[in-house]
Amino acid sequence: MLIFRVHISMRNGAPLLHIPDGFLDVYWITITYLATIGYFTIIGKRSRSIFRPETISTVTTIAAIVFVAQMFNWPIPGGTSLHFLGSALAGIILGPALGSIALALVLVVQALVFHDGGITTLGANILNMAIIGVLTGYATFRFFMRLLKNTDGKKRIFISSFMAGWISLFIAGIACGLEIGLSPRFPYGVLITIPVMGIWHLVLGVVEGIITGLIVLYVYERNPHLVMGLEGI
Amino acid sequence: MEKKLLILLIFMVFLSPIFGVILAEKVGYHEPLDIAASLLGLKEHDIVNYHTPFEDYSFPGLGPVAGYIASGLLGVAIILAIGVIASKLVKSR
Repeated sequence: MLIFRVHISMRNGAPLLHIPDGFLDVYWITITYLATIGYFTIIGKRSRSIFRPETISTVTTIAAIVFVAQMFNWPIPGGTSLHFLGSALAGIILGPALGSIALALVLVVQALVFHDGGITTLGANILNMAIIGVLTGYATFRFFMRLLKNTDGKKRIFISSFMAGWISLFIAGIACGLEIGLSPRFPYGVLITIPVMGIWHLVLGVVEGIITGLIVLYVYERNPHLVMGLEGI
Repeated sequence: MEKKLLILLIFMVFLSPIFGVILAEKVGYHEPLDIAASLLGLKEHDIVNYHTPFEDYSFPGLGPVAGYIASGLLGVAIILAIGVIASKLVKSR
């Protein structure tokens, strides 16, 4: 029987899904940096609307909200914390390209200014939260908006945003578990990390979903045109 | 950014240490990522020699709570300043 000893240090600012330096091997560092650079190169070329002052202002406003929201961690005795990541929220409000830029801005500031998340793992953190989390949140929101087309407007928005928040946190957690699980030089890492990350984030995703649902509903009720994820629905 | 929203964000930053520092220390919690990593024996260590005076949301000369608030305000200011600078650069092109 394998007995694992868990030694974990406390520090200010919950790591959420922010992988610190030392957790990933050189292959994963390279793959995740290349994937991230490739993605932002493509959206930089495709989305010319990014380079408008009003768009920049909206993106940085959402980034500031997500940054502050991530500083709130409600610790659960003996376990983890209820917290908010904001990937799905950014994807729903800003759309996938701008949502990714907003989250990436938050992660870069957190890593470079506060060393929350590593420098070598910044590519992976952006990939998990700003790309996978945002795209999953956006796609899930639109999927449920279409699926629930006969449902009352407010309920439809809340359920779709709730599902987007829930699923995006779960998938981002799985991606993070996959990267750190495949990094050590022994083969069974993922058998440990995927269940730990998957189960915890499936539970924590409920909170992410509720907060995402409430904020999107609040924005939608005041000005539905501000919810870019509704475009074409 | 709207003034009301900015005031709300600053208010939230002042509240954040209750959750991010005070309750966290009392309860002693661990994130799933830390649990998974410790089960694998992964240890956080610097690969590149990078240090910042605001490490883990601290602030030089301030205690954990005041440091957390100051770091929060600094983070918001940096993000909004990037927005202002980027907007000016775009306008001037």
